[in-house]
Amino acid sequence: MSEEIKIKKSAEMQKIEDKMTMLVQTGRIDNLIDLLAVLSDQIEMTTTPMVEKMVNSIDNMTTAGFVTENAVRYAKRETEKNEIPSVFALLKLMKDEDTRKGLAFMLNLTKGIGKQL
Amino acid sequence: MKKILIVGGGTAGTMTANNLAKKLMPEIDRDELQITLISNSSKHVYKPGAMYVAFHKSAGNEFVREQKSLLMPEINFFVDEAIEFNTKENYVRAQSGKKYDYDYLVIATGCEIAANRIPGLEEGGDWFYSYEGAKKLAEKFEKIKKGRILITVSFPKTPNIPHQCGIAPLETTIMLNDYLIEKGVRDDVEIIYTYPKVAQTITDGLFLQGPTSKVLPSIFDGMNIKHKTSFTLNKVDAEKKIAYSEEGEEMSFDILMSTPPFIAAKVVRNSGLATKALDGEGWLPTNKKTLKVEGLDNVYTLGDAVDLSVSKAGGTIHNQTDVVTDNIAAELRYGYPTESYDGKVIAVAQMGLSCGMPLWYDYEEDVKPTPCSKLGSFVRLGFNKGLYWAAARGML
Repeated sequence: MSEEIKIKKSAEMQKIEDKMTMLVQTGRIDNLIDLLAVLSDQIEMTTTPMVEKMVNSIDNMTTAGFVTENAVRYAKRETEKNEIPSVFALLKLMKDEDTRKGLAFMLNLTKGIGKQL
Repeated sequence: MKKILIVGGGTAGTMTANNLAKKLMPEIDRDELQITLISNSSKHVYKPGAMYVAFHKSAGNEFVREQKSLLMPEINFFVDEAIEFNTKENYVRAQSGKKYDYDYLVIATGCEIAANRIPGLEEGGDWFYSYEGAKKLAEKFEKIKKGRILITVSFPKTPNIPHQCGIAPLETTIMLNDYLIEKGVRDDVEIIYTYPKVAQTITDGLFLQGPTSKVLPSIFDGMNIKHKTSFTLNKVDAEKKIAYSEEGEEMSFDILMSTPPFIAAKVVRNSGLATKALDGEGWLPTNKKTLKVEGLDNVYTLGDAVDLSVSKAGGTIHNQTDVVTDNIAAELRYGYPTESYDGKVIAVAQMGLSCGMPLWYDYEEDVKPTPCSKLGSFVRLGFNKGLYWAAARGML
């Protein structure tokens, strides 16, 4: 024998019930539950050192992006401001400390790549 | 050529310099604007990282970077300590003797620890607000097997001004509880959390905002953390290891983890600009909406130096910097500021070693305490170890 229970529902509860009914009727609920389970498992299986390493990689990428974006913008502005340099003027550019620092960096960069080949 | 000068290479100064450079790039390209930042250090320190050092969760070096590596190349950067603001003739004099002229000045000089304002605290107390302090605390935490760790919190004497990072004492108390459990000594170490009688607008509470203050007793009871309000620290006997309160009570301790008094930077304290701050604390009188220093039309301030009631923390600065940037840009372009700060603070509190609680509030609404989560802790960790640097660079 079953007993009838009356529940007073708020408008919000009714809305949730309607939406859930739609998900069940259209067969989407199984996938959604699976997806939530996967998400929950991911959080459960993630450890603090894992997050640290991931974040470190993201930081490396944003740092590389920051340096490159800045350098390209700077170079573009300088190139637009000045006339195309002669060979002699190119050599004069080398007098600038920042230019030499950048060149040394580029050469070390190729060395770093070479070491990995 | 217009000149913007930013004084201070912490979170506030760095974020604001980069945001200004980004926003005003057309003016920089046309050689109409120069942005300069001066700082007393070539290094940039992410201060919230220090509390992790206290619990051996970080070595500390990962929270320090070269200031130059965080600034866009359009910003002229000099390591030079400001020693005088001349707001009549619009220049800042620095240690090197150089005068830095400006059309707009941003004072982002932060605040500093002033433990010596409470007799005996320097000798008898410890704090996690600096890396050196946090390292000392870490050594003590490592050694403790039994005894009592007392937590005290001191507020500025100027009414309704918070200490640095309002939630830090609470965060570290819960982190300490977790740390001692991890070490297996929690049963033999008593933790007593105390709070002063007056904490901004709250009296006889455990936190500087009402809703959180009300839920704290049950949270602490659940963790077996003893708590006591109306303990306004006014003296420490370093030899006997006793802390005394203004209210006439005394409490013994083995380790005193304190939130010490804070004051504004020396250059601000000596500037004569901090007309309203008590006890020479030096907080800058700040328009809560425009973030201009009261009475000075071309001087802005943000971060820990201000006399606003909102937290002195990165989660505050992250919101203030956009207002300062937009207002200076608008003044340059239209002749008047356009934005207004609503007191918004957004952060993720570290409520224990592996639990994070997102929080937000503004001038109108207090923090609503919510349960912390593992995911929240990951977000905080992500910010500490990576996203912060992107935020400082104005990328976030």
